[in-house]
Amino acid sequence: MHKSLEEAGAKTLLEPCGNMKHSNGMDMTDTSSRTDSKKIVELATFYIGDALCGMDILKIQEINKLMQMTKVPQAPEYVLGILNLRGQIVTIIDLGRKLGLGETDITQDPRNIIVNSTGGHVGLLVRKISDVVSADMDKKESAPANMRGIQGEYFNGVYKTETNLIGILNVDKVLSIED
Amino acid sequence: MEIEDDEILQGFIEESLEHLADIENDLLAVEEGGANIDEDLVNKVFRAAHSIKGGAGFMGLTTIQDLSHAAENVLGMIRSKKLIPTPEIINVLLIAADQLQSLIEDVQNSNAVDISSHLTPLNAIADGTFSQPADEKQSRPQREPAAVAEAPAKVPAEKKTAPKPLLTLDEEDETFIEEVEDSLLPDDEFEAETEAQAMGDQSFSAIEPAALNNLPSGKSPQAPPAKAEASLRVHVSLLDSLMNLAGELVLSRNQLLQTIGSDDLRNAEAVGQRIDLITSELQEAIMLTRMQPIGNVFSKFPRVVRDLSKKLKKKIDLTIVGKDVELDKTIIEAINDPLTHLVRNSVDHGIEMPAERRKIGKAETGLVVLKAYHEAGQVVIEISDDGKGLDGDALAASAVSKGLLSSEQAQIMSDKEKVNLIFLPGFSTAKEVTDVSGRGVGMDVVKTNLDQLGGNVDIISEKGSGTTISIKLPLTLAIIPCQIIETAGERYAIPQVNLEELLRIPAGQVKDRVERVGDAEVVRLRGVLLPLIRLADVIGIKRTYYDRGTDEVKPDRREKIFDRRGKDSPLFNSDEESRNDTPPSRNDRPRSVLDRRFAASSALNIVVVSTGSMKYGLIVDRLQDSEEIVIKPLGRHLQQCKGYAGATIMGDGRIALILDVSNLARMAHLTSVDGSDRASEVARAAEAAIKAIKDKQSLLIFKNSEVEHFAVPLNQVERIEKIKRSDIEEFGGRRVMKYRGGSLSLIRVDDLAMVQPIADHDSLLVIVFTIAKRSVGLLAVGPIDALEVSADIDDTTLSQPGIMGSIIIDNQTTMLVNVFEMVQTLFPHWFLEQEKFELANVETDVLPTILIAEDSKFFRNQVKGYMTEVGYNVIEAEDGLEGWHKLMEHGDEISMLVTDIEMPNMNGFELTQKIRSDRKYSDLPIIALTTLASAEDVARGKAVGVNEYHIKLDKERLMVSVHDYIKRRH
Repeated sequence: MHKSLEEAGAKTLLEPCGNMKHSNGMDMTDTSSRTDSKKIVELATFYIGDALCGMDILKIQEINKLMQMTKVPQAPEYVLGILNLRGQIVTIIDLGRKLGLGETDITQDPRNIIVNSTGGHVGLLVRKISDVVSADMDKKESAPANMRGIQGEYFNGVYKTETNLIGILNVDKVLSIED
Repeated sequence: MEIEDDEILQGFIEESLEHLADIENDLLAVEEGGANIDEDLVNKVFRAAHSIKGGAGFMGLTTIQDLSHAAENVLGMIRSKKLIPTPEIINVLLIAADQLQSLIEDVQNSNAVDISSHLTPLNAIADGTFSQPADEKQSRPQREPAAVAEAPAKVPAEKKTAPKPLLTLDEEDETFIEEVEDSLLPDDEFEAETEAQAMGDQSFSAIEPAALNNLPSGKSPQAPPAKAEASLRVHVSLLDSLMNLAGELVLSRNQLLQTIGSDDLRNAEAVGQRIDLITSELQEAIMLTRMQPIGNVFSKFPRVVRDLSKKLKKKIDLTIVGKDVELDKTIIEAINDPLTHLVRNSVDHGIEMPAERRKIGKAETGLVVLKAYHEAGQVVIEISDDGKGLDGDALAASAVSKGLLSSEQAQIMSDKEKVNLIFLPGFSTAKEVTDVSGRGVGMDVVKTNLDQLGGNVDIISEKGSGTTISIKLPLTLAIIPCQIIETAGERYAIPQVNLEELLRIPAGQVKDRVERVGDAEVVRLRGVLLPLIRLADVIGIKRTYYDRGTDEVKPDRREKIFDRRGKDSPLFNSDEESRNDTPPSRNDRPRSVLDRRFAASSALNIVVVSTGSMKYGLIVDRLQDSEEIVIKPLGRHLQQCKGYAGATIMGDGRIALILDVSNLARMAHLTSVDGSDRASEVARAAEAAIKAIKDKQSLLIFKNSEVEHFAVPLNQVERIEKIKRSDIEEFGGRRVMKYRGGSLSLIRVDDLAMVQPIADHDSLLVIVFTIAKRSVGLLAVGPIDALEVSADIDDTTLSQPGIMGSIIIDNQTTMLVNVFEMVQTLFPHWFLEQEKFELANVETDVLPTILIAEDSKFFRNQVKGYMTEVGYNVIEAEDGLEGWHKLMEHGDEISMLVTDIEMPNMNGFELTQKIRSDRKYSDLPIIALTTLASAEDVARGKAVGVNEYHIKLDKERLMVSVHDYIKRRH
């Protein structure tokens, strides 16, 4: 009797935990089963290398030009440096490097997408910003194993527009720290 | 259950938790009192329980109400003296209070918790049927996993939130969640946790209402403990002053905007100052709101010590001093675990068993003292016990056996270093792992925790009589003064608490002062060898140096520090540059014009930092100002960079990283053991090097006229005063000035010597000497400087009355002033008394003969002069060996030896040793003359048989002691 109660208690705690960790994933993949159909998400799209990627615009705090940055010796190689965003310290991650496409050319006026992740603000450096696309998440398809050189694990799925294929970036995965 | 009014509930929780915090200590006091009941105290506890009961009843919190009611009943009986508070009863009450606390922390679910395990014994006590032994009681609650399990998941989750687990240093979400999962599993681990709790190791603190009272509202169990959400009580007057300051700030901003519009510079400056003032006041006031008495942490220790000593069957008294000392909230929270560990250590390992104590004549009851006080802008917390203390040798042996230390290293360690070995990772002193303190948490973790807070730990321990551990902590963490440095064009901040001093080694001295031992580079700093780390190397960036001339950062390609070569040859160097850096010829080393190591940019900038017991030098490109900075945490992607403690935003908006000096040392594989090992190695080499070179003489350099340079032996100088020309008074051809309530006679070099008259400056210097037991001041003009030179003194060329000789310092001919001779000539009457004394003392038929062994012709002649002047016969020897032969030759004639220490062939120590080993001369007085009378030298001299030490050129003291020994001998 006690036992079952405890287990029940454990579940109630664990579930939300998992939810938080992979919230993005759950929202995106399980939307059909969870919410009423039609889920339109505005995707901010941008280029990492040659790949057109997108993420929910509501997750973006702002988009900046690359400001004066301080290098951090000994940081992981994909961390470009840190910068002062109105009194907040923001870690800048070069998405090109992080996703294995090589360094983003910082002379070509790249942009910084500032997202608010757990544990502080993070800036994602992308080669170029593109349009905002309204996407129906129901029409999302699962990601291929590799999309223009980026491993499929970094995507929640792909969304096809008339002209393009947008990889929907799994920001939590991108920002996770692997050992 | 829904509770309508959040605010009232919140109020109830805060109040109840405060009551509970008091209850614990009051109960302990009641227990101590025993049958001798302090009614006020019992009343207080009773009222507290009563208030909780009342509040709970009002809110419909039936479980809390029932439990507090049962406790109240028992307390009521104690109050009316129907019941004597035995430790067992108090125990039940304490456990009930613990349960009450966890209920209150999770009010929303409190009604669902089964508290029968608490009610039964409480009611039994009230009914008079309670008889169970304490130990069983103690372990009872944890046999009721249902109690916690029934409560929805939140309970354990929140239990974990308030404290930082002792081991989990990084509070990353994942770890946290895992822990929550663990604590949820109805397995042994969970029981162990509860057990630990029952033992008094509540890892959550009972007295931190601020941190806890947000918990019931935490609806999302997955959220990591957000400390920011905790509430804090602030005094209204403080809030008022904050409000006031905020108002002022707004006004100043308006003013500033106006002035900017009007282009009025002077006004802008004034407004700037105003804002500066208000900001610092605001900063201070806000800091105050974060300050909390350390009593918040201390107050849990009586319980910890009580429970622990009971368990270990020891008798221990805990004394707490300085509860009111205030510290920043974050520090208070973070210090909890290290302190708990240290206190438990004291109880577990420090204090002996009563029987053992009795055997060695100590009181059966051990004493643990917790003390907090302010010292030099920091807070010091001391944990001391009168237990068995630490055995340095045993520690060292153990470290050796564990392979943490080589036995050679152990041999050269001081006692203090040995005691500090317990901070080494992987070191645990407990012979067997007890569940009390041996839980894998070593002192190294404690030290790391404290290091992270910017604190220092120090251990003083005497075997057999106890241990004192003192922790120094900064008052606050949020804003700290830092030294800003620059390397490779980036700025870094080093917390001032870690800063010992700043050191700049001029280019010309780098080669002499920086040495290389194995892979390590060390610098000689006031006789101590300091390991050096180059910041660029540790954090893995390219070495650079800053070129002051061009204001550029240039790559540095030199391998070794002492390989530094400036780009510019001194041939082309402007004078200005070589003056910027002290010119290299200080040590009188012949300097070739082709040597190119002397550009200013080759100077080394070293920040000497200390972390606990270790001190090292960090080489940086440039030293900048000291600034107060605000610490900002680094994002999680940078957590792996251990060299930084955070980042800060500088005045220009850019970011500077804050260096973690203890981790830097670790990254450079520098440990204190290592350091001392290296140091001793180098010390030996250095000693040999010193032996090889000639005597050094410390001189004070000054000027009289603008062009001529003079020097006096530094060790004759009593002090230096700055005076105005108008301070000098002339009476009857004598110059005097008022000095320490008397008159000081003033002399000038040109009074006696044929040199240019003193420069006509308004401000003068007076170098004060003591000669013939009187003070005399020598007038001089600056700049003055003190330096060490090899004694290569020319005593003929420029010698004249008042001038002993000359020496070349920095390419300047400098005349060595004979102050003694000057005084003797100018004030002969001062010596009348003394001469009589001298003659009276040398009443022998044959004038005594003194052997002088000294390699420097100059000093030999000086000393010989002193001796022959008063009539002694002198035999000279140019070194120790010749001295020995002369002694053999003349044997009985010689009544005394005056010897130099540093001599070729045979030095003074060796000569003395040789003489003393010959029985015939065992009582021959030996006076050693030295220029470097370090304490070690003196001790060494005494050890080999030197009777007395004197400083070269201090004629007066030397002669007094010569007379003294001669008199004794005859």
